[in-house]
Amino acid sequence: MSLKTDNRAFGARTADGIGDAFMRGAVGSAQDSLKTRRLTAATALGDWEAWRELGQQIRQHTLANLDYYLEQMADNVERRGGHVFFARTKEEASGYILGVVKSKQARKIVKSKSMVTEEIEMNRVLLEAGCEVIESDLGEYILQEDDWDPPSHIVAPALHKNREQIRDVFAAKLNYEGDETPEHLARFARTVLREKFLEAEIGITGCNFAVANLGAINLVTNEGNGDLTAALPPTHIAVMGMERIVPTLEEMEVLDNLLCRSAVGQKLTSYITVMGPREEGDTDGPEEFHLVIVDNGRSDILASEFHEALQCIRCGACLNVCPVYRHIGGHAYGSIYPGPIGAVITPLLGGYDDYKELPYASSLCGACTDVCPVKIPLHQQLVLHRQNIVSQGRTGSVDRIQMKAVGKVLSSPALFAGTLRLANPMSTLLSKHGRIVRGPAPLSGWIGSRDLPQPVKKRDGFRDWYPHREGGGHS
Amino acid sequence: MNAQPSNRSAFLDRVADSLGRPRRTDGVQRPAWKHNVHLEQLADRTPEQLVEILKEQCFFIHTQVIESTPDLLQRTLDDLIAGYGGGPVIRSGDPRFMRYGLSFLGDSVWSAQAGRAENIRLAEAANIALVFADYALAESGTVVLESRPDQGRALHFLPSHYIAVIEWERIVPRSTQAMAEMNRRHEAGGSLGSCINLISGPSNSADIEMQLVVGVHGPLRATYVLI
Repeated sequence: MSLKTDNRAFGARTADGIGDAFMRGAVGSAQDSLKTRRLTAATALGDWEAWRELGQQIRQHTLANLDYYLEQMADNVERRGGHVFFARTKEEASGYILGVVKSKQARKIVKSKSMVTEEIEMNRVLLEAGCEVIESDLGEYILQEDDWDPPSHIVAPALHKNREQIRDVFAAKLNYEGDETPEHLARFARTVLREKFLEAEIGITGCNFAVANLGAINLVTNEGNGDLTAALPPTHIAVMGMERIVPTLEEMEVLDNLLCRSAVGQKLTSYITVMGPREEGDTDGPEEFHLVIVDNGRSDILASEFHEALQCIRCGACLNVCPVYRHIGGHAYGSIYPGPIGAVITPLLGGYDDYKELPYASSLCGACTDVCPVKIPLHQQLVLHRQNIVSQGRTGSVDRIQMKAVGKVLSSPALFAGTLRLANPMSTLLSKHGRIVRGPAPLSGWIGSRDLPQPVKKRDGFRDWYPHREGGGHS
Repeated sequence: MNAQPSNRSAFLDRVADSLGRPRRTDGVQRPAWKHNVHLEQLADRTPEQLVEILKEQCFFIHTQVIESTPDLLQRTLDDLIAGYGGGPVIRSGDPRFMRYGLSFLGDSVWSAQAGRAENIRLAEAANIALVFADYALAESGTVVLESRPDQGRALHFLPSHYIAVIEWERIVPRSTQAMAEMNRRHEAGGSLGSCINLISGPSNSADIEMQLVVGVHGPLRATYVLI
């Protein structure tokens, strides 16, 4: 899977989402439950705003000194006997990983959930080379067995599937004979995947945070698959976006607290692990450790007005409060990064050519900004995107003509007054009971889902009423 | 193995470029943080209060807590093992097992002598893992353990059941204290295990219809014994 998960136009993708009643129900109830859990967990800390400011300050300090901390990390990993590869592009990243796999003559690979490995299309590269790649996160494993169905949520990738669909996938692909109880499905996956962990030659994980002064990576999980992936195979490859780094365990601790509470409302997830290359005398852990640090467009973001987006710790809280995500679902974004943060970073990573609609998939209500544990001004960044898209002339010709006309009318008092006068008679044919009920775009788009009152007659308008009201018209 | 050269310099130069300044290779200090909320949280609680907080949190993370004493510990653990369906038991080589005079019939011990493959084989075959916590975090119901030659990484994940013994004096308010202490030790040049595990109860997942399933890839059930 690449950044892009769907080649169809934005309209077709959103229509699919809006038409999928099950998905919308599932997303709605997931949002409600995650929102409540996050709020409870955040409130329990007392001064949550101070925590957010602390998180923001830690992220901003680290990003402002990113070259320093990355070098410190790399030095420490190498000092401990690990290997570090800096990848400018996704091709360099997946190419290096393939190189390691080939040098080990490995075919059996087990991995845990990682968004950045999706971004660099690692699975495709490894599968094409004839390797078996097993996603061991339960949600991701379900998607993989369903012919690599794309994820729809950063934290709960298989949110769009119900238990019956999952049972059917397991029955068709893995000869599962049990029922659709989640516990039975999970135990079945445990049994199948346990074998895969034990026989894997290479384990590949993401990295929640690199801890620079230790030369270790931090994984935050609940299922235990990340730890088995990293501990059992003789070779461990960790892949990280270059911005995912903290100075020490102390800052990691603060961010892990923010992450767990914001993502799933847990104080800490079941497994928080800090792991580095094995030390002399260790009895398990990988014999060989590789860390792949990925730029793939991030340095451009760092240099841009969108640099705060790199503060993201991938908790998904912004997805859980977004009214647009609620209705169109994760797949409609056409990106492995959905929701508000996806609408900000996908156009930065994948370009406006493919993703210029995403910044418009927002009501700009700002709920995402309010909930972000590291204070990324998400909705303001969406407005910035829109400004860029307009100033680069990327809006459609109909849009441009309309905006030109609106501009003309609004800049001339005479034209404006005339338009107000004509608005009522001209809309009579389109209206019924004081509401406009038909019309061309953009009217049709609006009235498809909302009321649009017919403009009032001139004598009922504010400008005619105000000077004649009781008490006179002095303003 | 490094088949391809690492293009570290060019990469980091580009990062510095993006930041609009020359490369920084030293002299970076962490700033004074604006807030101390993490240091203050629960910092004023007495040990008795922390135990209560720990016990309450364990209820939410599906973890059984049993209070015992050094004298009763052997019996408590024997009962627990029986309750989990008996052995095989694998335990860490922590010296505290000996200090408390503990022994378990037919148990195996994660050890440097056994070697990687044998340790993993024994852990995979085990019904129960038995360990001593290095720290316990009251707020989150967490045990913290460092990897050592006699306590491998996979020990905590392969067996079906997990029992951690927590000594009262190892209980700290929250993750802040444990991570700060470990960081201090590291920066003072002391040794720190190559792997640090913060474990809060059994493994779980809500990936199917957001319904919580306790017991996925790691242990299915967990118990803490307080002494």
